Amino acid sequence: MANEKVDVVIVGAGASGSVYASVLAKAGKKVVLLESGPDWELSDLISSEIWGRRIKPAGAPILLEGKNPMTYAAQGGWGVGGAALHYYANFPRLLPTDFRVKGEHNRAQDWPIAYEDVAPFYDKVAREVGVSGDAKAEEKWRPAGEAYPMPPMKTFRNGEIWLKGFEASGIQMVPAPVGMNSVEFNGRPACLYDGWCHVGCPIGALANPQITYLGDARKAGAEVRALSTVTRVLTNQAGTRVTGVEYYDDKQQKQIQEASVVVLAAWSAQNSRLLLNSATDKHAKGLGNASGLVGRFMMSHHVASTWGMFDENIQNHMGTIAVQYMSYERYPKTSHPGAFGSSFITAGFALKTTDLALSRADLFGLELADYMKRAARGLAGIKTFGEEQPNMENRVELSSAKDEFGMPMGKLIHSYDQDAVALWNANLEEGLKVAKASGAKEAWSSRGSIPTSHLMGGTIMGRGAGDSVVDSYGQSHEIPNLWVAGPSIFPTAGASNPTFTIFALSQRGAERMASQWGSLTN
Amino acid sequence: MANIGRRGFVKGATLGALAFTVGGAEVIMAPGEARARGVPFRLLDAHQGETLEALGETLVPSAREAGIAHFIDQQLSVPPHESLLQARIFNFRPPFAEFYRTVITTADDASRKMFGRDFAQLPAADQRTFVDLVRQNKIEGWTGRPGATVYAVLRADAVDVVYGTMEGYEALGIPYMPHIPPEKRW
Repeated sequence: MANEKVDVVIVGAGASGSVYASVLAKAGKKVVLLESGPDWELSDLISSEIWGRRIKPAGAPILLEGKNPMTYAAQGGWGVGGAALHYYANFPRLLPTDFRVKGEHNRAQDWPIAYEDVAPFYDKVAREVGVSGDAKAEEKWRPAGEAYPMPPMKTFRNGEIWLKGFEASGIQMVPAPVGMNSVEFNGRPACLYDGWCHVGCPIGALANPQITYLGDARKAGAEVRALSTVTRVLTNQAGTRVTGVEYYDDKQQKQIQEASVVVLAAWSAQNSRLLLNSATDKHAKGLGNASGLVGRFMMSHHVASTWGMFDENIQNHMGTIAVQYMSYERYPKTSHPGAFGSSFITAGFALKTTDLALSRADLFGLELADYMKRAARGLAGIKTFGEEQPNMENRVELSSAKDEFGMPMGKLIHSYDQDAVALWNANLEEGLKVAKASGAKEAWSSRGSIPTSHLMGGTIMGRGAGDSVVDSYGQSHEIPNLWVAGPSIFPTAGASNPTFTIFALSQRGAERMASQWGSLTN
Repeated sequence: MANIGRRGFVKGATLGALAFTVGGAEVIMAPGEARARGVPFRLLDAHQGETLEALGETLVPSAREAGIAHFIDQQLSVPPHESLLQARIFNFRPPFAEFYRTVITTADDASRKMFGRDFAQLPAADQRTFVDLVRQNKIEGWTGRPGATVYAVLRADAVDVVYGTMEGYEALGIPYMPHIPPEKRW
């Protein structure tokens, strides 16, 4: 069934898609968002870790392989708002060094833009969605910008208790910037610090897309079609332009949505999967894939978790899931001898019972029961995110297995290289030193398999089709009315949580699209 | 258990409790209550239920009473995208019942080889020894997903039913502080 042609069809109603929808709908464009999951209401966001699983992917059509398979479902989103419906809203930004890894270290590749190109959009996003933090304190490590619109969040003993150890290790911690309200902001209430952010904040204190960009987009006339799964991007016969998308609606009926411009904003693995599955005789390897790089350079952050058990009751149920303190002290790529890559250090976050149990995953039976009682009073953690260098062999490809719509499933293959392993180990060792210097009665690292956090790459940006899939705005090098949004366009990962950068790059891309509209549609 | 069909969404899911079938009617209650009232399993047979209870209790004390088997059974009966099981978070491909069925069969096979009896019939000390070996991938001839993965998933399910509830928080002295509380304290 064909629908009336629109100006823009956006695949995915998460962090990046919602920004595009807001900017373009406000610019007067007719916008349709197609989202494979349901259209959640804030009242669906029950304060329960168990019930919070309803907003995660189920049976995600991505098969995970490699030495270090990506954590997919835990971090992914399902439904309107995407993963940003349950994200932690940590809003650190990338630093200038992230944009020029090749130039500075002859590793990986440079972005086709500099920090200065993105910085105004960080500031704009902060003003629009509301960020709490202390920009001046961060400017020790980055160029100056605007102040955040809200003061830092409250801190709690479960965060403050680490400061002595960090100081002893020569690591300065500053208030972490977060997409949460420390005070009332734009009619949205201040945070209550009950730690249920990760299952969705129903009061609107956390800047999830439902109440920020998507709310604006809907007011401006954008239409959101939930339970609509896109399977192909369609092109004209010559293969020179995309004409819309094929999708299955909430009754599992096949539909065609024609559009002047298609934006893929379905997260890194799905963007690649869709492009690969949209191959035609004119694009035999998949759309926008003359370079053969669609699906390549998938990246993650590794996470070094250190735990400390303290004698006092540090009320670790208080706070938010976002962190209270952060540091770029180990962000320079060669901070740790024998390892390469940036590290982003964080401390102080609310813990739920699942976190308590996971902090000692080896315990079970009576030992676990005893541990849970102690952990409920005295456990606190620090986490250091580490940069993974882009590796072409970390990739998404199509599997021979098919999903319920007959679309090949994606296969996401991921392994860490020696740089990542060395950096993760260095961060764990440093974490342990900090924990001991903080006075923890017991301190330990979460060893075992190296965790993956965040998902980036697959349709990386660059200067041309020879070394990348899209330009710095997300526009395909080969098909001008095909755009890609989200972390899939990052050519390197840095170590900062990616969502602030996703919002900023999407704002930049969407404004560019609106300003160049005439050339896109002719 | 092999032929788990797609059933209609249970209304309890939107409210925060689970729907169990009692006397032909759907009743909303917590899994522990379902167990206490002797609600029949939807998909598990008695032995499968008993084995999941034994595994759950070994992993997390009180999981049996908290209704671990009723929780898993009820959750296997709903469509995968409505499931609250840890298999979802571990990115397993539905149907999730395949995972639990294989675990039960494999655990029993290995238990009989090691101790001459099904897992559920072992003394608690042997059950503990067995689970510790599963955790470390040290059971010879183990089939299906690695033992360490099985341990992680079942342990997490058991943690959910024992500690993930309002009662679980209360037992640990942790204020629950909900924005939107789950119904029936589940």
